Amino acid sequence: MAAASTTRRRAIILLALTSIILITLDLQNSSAVSGLRSLFATVFRPIESVARVITRPLENTWHGITNYNSILDENSRLRERVAQQKGATIAAAASVRLSQELLALNGLPTLAGINAVTAQVIGDSPSNFSQTIEINQGSVSGIRVGMPVLNAAGLVGKITKVYADRSVVMLITDPDFALSVKVVNPPRNSTSTTVSLSNPATASPVVPVDSSVAPNAASPTTTTSTTTTTIAGFTPSVTTLPATPTGVSSINIPAADQLAVRETGVIEGRGPSRQPTIRFVDNSLRFGDIQVGVPIVTAGGSRSLAPPDILIGTVARVVERLGSAGPVLEVELVADLSNLSFLRVLLYRPITEKTTP
Amino acid sequence: MNRLILVMASRWMRLVLVLFIVLSLQTTVFAQLRPFGVAAQVVLLFVVCVGANYGVSVGALAGLIAGLMYDFVLTTPVGLGSLVLGLAGATAGLLLYFFHNPTWWMRLVAITIASALGEIYFPLAQAMVGLEGWLQLRLIKVTAVVVVVNLVLAPLVLVITRWTLSERRSTT
Repeated sequence: MAAASTTRRRAIILLALTSIILITLDLQNSSAVSGLRSLFATVFRPIESVARVITRPLENTWHGITNYNSILDENSRLRERVAQQKGATIAAAASVRLSQELLALNGLPTLAGINAVTAQVIGDSPSNFSQTIEINQGSVSGIRVGMPVLNAAGLVGKITKVYADRSVVMLITDPDFALSVKVVNPPRNSTSTTVSLSNPATASPVVPVDSSVAPNAASPTTTTSTTTTTIAGFTPSVTTLPATPTGVSSINIPAADQLAVRETGVIEGRGPSRQPTIRFVDNSLRFGDIQVGVPIVTAGGSRSLAPPDILIGTVARVVERLGSAGPVLEVELVADLSNLSFLRVLLYRPITEKTTP
Repeated sequence: MNRLILVMASRWMRLVLVLFIVLSLQTTVFAQLRPFGVAAQVVLLFVVCVGANYGVSVGALAGLIAGLMYDFVLTTPVGLGSLVLGLAGATAGLLLYFFHNPTWWMRLVAITIASALGEIYFPLAQAMVGLEGWLQLRLIKVTAVVVVVNLVLAPLVLVITRWTLSERRSTT
């Protein structure tokens, strides 16, 4: 009895020390620990698959009992919304295509140019203290750690663990999640200058935008507008207008101070019950006051794990801070993280991570 | 060879095999059925029941083994769950340490308290290794739901742990 107790005590000490060593190794991203995880996954996956098949009727029964009424309500609400959105979708699709063409013409990266893999959510986190989900695509499909994950609405999270045929996605709401983002603040004045072309045949397609010319000096065919340049590194010089074959056309040329101003920050998750926040937003005069409802998109950049301009959400609340710390912004996410089914993994890797063959 | 057979036939090997089943239930059915948005923690319940049945050292050892297995399916650092569940198993055993023959309701009280503490240990351990952000008011709701679910499932799991870790006498 005493011998068994001593053996047990030794085993406890050994296991506790092993745990501490494993924590240290894993926090330093040791490949040995990753190997152990993969090995365990190989052994455990068949058992889990059997359990999933056996327990599926139980899960379906539970969801049927707990979600029946809410699904009925949601279904009728969604039908109404689909009818409303049909027209808007066509207009939006045209705008998106136009935007993508313009970006492609100017050699700028677009989401359409990035390969993506569609994946299905196959499991939630078994723990209450991590915001992750599991998807049914892995390294075989080209998925790597860090790639951004989207649903139809916007950004959902990023890949944190990859196995051969499945991956783990860390959601935006996880406190470990952080990503560089842009807050797109609208201009303070919403007025814009309209340039008219009444006779396209005689009108010069090139409209010089000269800050020395007053706006009332517009001719019947060509109009110059007054522009005050306030964006650093941007000097408006020549604006080319497309010649249109039919009668009168007009194009809005916003003045520099009327363009949307973008400021970068870092979005951080705060758990499932609290909205993510954006910190490190520069409190500059040019940026002005941040308004509730302005969009938040990924910042992109050579080191960012996500390409630019993926929609994340809108500003829900602005918490001002004293001094030069800048405000903290609470974010209303566009993606409904509680109801994820099919996701898209962008096979995007920043330039700094791409290896030359 | 005989030693290997002895190890394979030991109650600890039986524990590992049963833990595979418990873990598979945790990652499938109990990850999906979330009353009030909280996942029930059957691995924690299993460890706590072992502690309540067999005392501090067996509870701690079962917790360390179960936690290590649980760590490999979680995204938190490997070893963290092991320490947390080891501590939870030891806590359950410690709560009944001074009672010679604890009654069934004493065991249930011990399971309730150890389950609550076990669920709180986890974010505390995360914070200690720098994974902050989980110590918030939501922890109260999570703990309450986990305790209630564990209390409901405890009679069944107590029987399973008793069967798993019972010493079997050789018939030969």
